Amino acid sequence: MKHLFSALCLLLMISVTAQEKFLTKTGTVIFEASMPSFEEVKATNKNTTAIINTKNGEFAALVLVKGFRFKNALMEEHFNENYAESDDYPKATFKGKISDFSIDDLNGTSQEKRYNGSLTFHGKTKSLNNKTLSITKSTDGSLKITGSLKVNVADYDIEIPKIVSNKLSREVDVIFEFILNKK
Amino acid sequence: MKKKILIISLLAITIIAYFGYNYIYQDHRNISKEDADYTINASEFITEFVSDSEIAQTKYLNKTIVINGNITAQTNKSITLNNIIFCSLLEINKISKDSVVTMKGRFIGYDDLLEEIKLDQCSLTKTNQ
Repeated sequence: MKHLFSALCLLLMISVTAQEKFLTKTGTVIFEASMPSFEEVKATNKNTTAIINTKNGEFAALVLVKGFRFKNALMEEHFNENYAESDDYPKATFKGKISDFSIDDLNGTSQEKRYNGSLTFHGKTKSLNNKTLSITKSTDGSLKITGSLKVNVADYDIEIPKIVSNKLSREVDVIFEFILNKK
Repeated sequence: MKKKILIISLLAITIIAYFGYNYIYQDHRNISKEDADYTINASEFITEFVSDSEIAQTKYLNKTIVINGNITAQTNKSITLNNIIFCSLLEINKISKDSVVTMKGRFIGYDDLLEEIKLDQCSLTKTNQ
């Protein structure tokens, strides 16, 4: 009887947690460090994992750095070898929380929310405070989370050699778009 | 004599420009045409990650891998093998009816949020009934 009870509890727990999580394995993260009148420095990662706990607004994302694709193959190679050093730091992660999150308040029009958390890249972690993102609930039940932020490369111990310093922006634009489905 | 020098230097500049251009604008890797660095069974591949994901990740990172496994889930742009190996496809998936397939792709890392092995630029190389 005791076993049956604990088994029931376990089942209940699993079903409850399963309903609270929305996730994607194919989220998009774009970064751009272009300078005007120089060649575009832009890469897209379409295999980003993102999870949100809809009960409390906790949010996590994981980018596999090797998955960033550039138009220019040589640029992709240099990014991986000299800047991101993706052999040593293959992952970039974000962990944080969206403030005042409530799934019941969401609807078809996008809502701005604030979030706090920490971003880890190139082995360095920096906190992100009071940033904004937009959330929309689609008719099919999925959640769309989009936003952008500016990241300072120096915060992540990335050195830009003098020879390319005028072609690369020190402030990188990061744009993200996740369409999360109920797990 | 002067003419000869001029022709030679022009030729040299052309050659340097040609190779320089090809270096800067070289093609991307073509994973589907590359020889595989590793050919492995999905279950064995997963076992390596279960025993030590860090070591396995370092070993396979950025390598072209051919994997034999069972399709457990698929969308129009991805195929999942043996529940854990997530393959992002190069072309739109024609929704394979086969259950046992051979995939070729590039390993981009271990996703410890979902505990999945991720590959990109994947293509189906063989379907076995």
